[in-house]
Amino acid sequence: MEETIIKLDNLTHLYRDNNDKEFPALDSVNLEIKKGEFVAIIGANGSGKSTLARHLNALLKPAKGTCLVAGMDTSDEKNLWNIRQTVGMVFQNPDNQIVAAVVEEDVAFGPENIGVPTEEIRPRVEAALKTVGMLDYAKHAPHLLSGGQKQRVAIAGTIVLEPACIVLDEPTAMLDPKGRKEIVSTISKLNKEKNITVIYITHYMTEALAADRVIVMNKGKIAFDGTPKEVFSHAKELKEFGLEAPLAAEVASELIAAGMKLDKEIITDEELVEALCPSN
Amino acid sequence: MSIKLENISYTYMQGTPFERNALDDVSVTIEKGEFVAIIGHTGSGKSTLVQHLNGLLKPSTGKAFINDVDLDGKGDEVKKAKHSVGMVFQYPEHQIFAETVYEDIAFGPRNKGFSEEEVEKLVKDAMSFVHLDYEEFAQKSPFNLSGGQMRRVAIAGVVAMAPDYLVLDEPSAGLDPMARDVIFEEIINLYKKRDIGVVLVTHSMEEAVRYANRLLVVSDGKIILDDAPKEIFKNHSQKLLDVSMDIPQVFKLAESLRQKGLTLSEDIIDAKSLVAEIKKQRGIK
Repeated sequence: MEETIIKLDNLTHLYRDNNDKEFPALDSVNLEIKKGEFVAIIGANGSGKSTLARHLNALLKPAKGTCLVAGMDTSDEKNLWNIRQTVGMVFQNPDNQIVAAVVEEDVAFGPENIGVPTEEIRPRVEAALKTVGMLDYAKHAPHLLSGGQKQRVAIAGTIVLEPACIVLDEPTAMLDPKGRKEIVSTISKLNKEKNITVIYITHYMTEALAADRVIVMNKGKIAFDGTPKEVFSHAKELKEFGLEAPLAAEVASELIAAGMKLDKEIITDEELVEALCPSN
Repeated sequence: MSIKLENISYTYMQGTPFERNALDDVSVTIEKGEFVAIIGHTGSGKSTLVQHLNGLLKPSTGKAFINDVDLDGKGDEVKKAKHSVGMVFQYPEHQIFAETVYEDIAFGPRNKGFSEEEVEKLVKDAMSFVHLDYEEFAQKSPFNLSGGQMRRVAIAGVVAMAPDYLVLDEPSAGLDPMARDVIFEEIINLYKKRDIGVVLVTHSMEEAVRYANRLLVVSDGKIILDDAPKEIFKNHSQKLLDVSMDIPQVFKLAESLRQKGLTLSEDIIDAKSLVAEIKKQRGIK
């Protein structure tokens, strides 16, 4: 657990705005993520969270500062292949990430590409599909799957390369409620059972509750960094950042404001129910 | 005034090995002045359904009417009827094409044959509706705006057509909570001020209960439930789970509290009403 996998040192990324003026999408960000952590990143549109994600597998390079992935500097071209095998990415729209006409061929695309010996590919593809619960669909056509199933195939296509870390950028934004639950439980399983480091960007606060650590981005900087309890008990500040707290935290904070004596760190339904109606 | 679908079925790629029945004998009437939410799993047929509301798709069997005009006809009357339904698709910012915000919003009204002065007024009104300052944004390139702003430009383009009905396909997907609230504030505003009919396709149970006065649940090409959102979420939670849907978080939380002995009204639909009920229970004003 102690080994560092991601280390950002004063990382700055500049974009040009309407008037051709430079502005920082990331502004001197410092961040360290240990191997095996499950980190959720939340923040308003334009807060810099997707820019941050794109630095983690060298899709973007720092304007200032450094980004180290397992000790490798992302601004050094020589490291590109190794970095991208260390950090896998999953994006919002599953339809844009699926390349083949059969599920197992889609998952095999990555290992074929990096020259994994043919006899190794099949067992790896099967193991990856099994992990995401899609082995029964190995011979299916991806376009006939549900959104949640497609997104799980996209995740299989990433973990088949055995990355140490997987970055997911709003993977549930286009999914129905069942699809969202499937993705969150698949990701938790990857993290717990395979010890893969997970960096999970989302607009759904309830999904962030599944993480061990929540990072809040605001205007290119890290505004909060802590356990879900530490972060979500700041219901008021989160609102100012264009976010919201999970329902139970919001209700608890309103009740506290109205004078009720409740624990400030209530963030889940179970905790709120227990606080209002103690079992014994 | 209403949109009426009568016994509509729709088959994709008919006569090929990929033939698939997307809608199966669907009948529904949506009145002007209603706010209807539609939920359903991916592939349930809800997007196919809404594309029948303005004649974008032609039913394989069955009939579609807008304000009693049969969409299966030709001529000005049919064209006018179809124009009375504005459509905002998923990720509408991808449909923006013009060089300036003004030109993009003006495209629809100009096509409808309005004079330049009228177009300017419609663009100004539409921009003020979606809270985009005319002086600041009209001459800007829409492609340099933020995602939320681009989405508002796209919605303004539909608003400028002064539709009687507005159909929105997941207008809040990918937006942060505050941007979501802003978009819906604008939609509600439009709904109330212009007394239009709104059809909202969504994956969010919270949006359905907060904004709509009627909810349609679509599964396997059929409308399986049609009632007030509150009634559906109260009475059909298992059925919703069976079709990959859910009930709003606040309904679950209120139910857990009731099971533990707290007496709570059946009218809880959001955090605010839940807080008010708990305060009432505990005698806090």
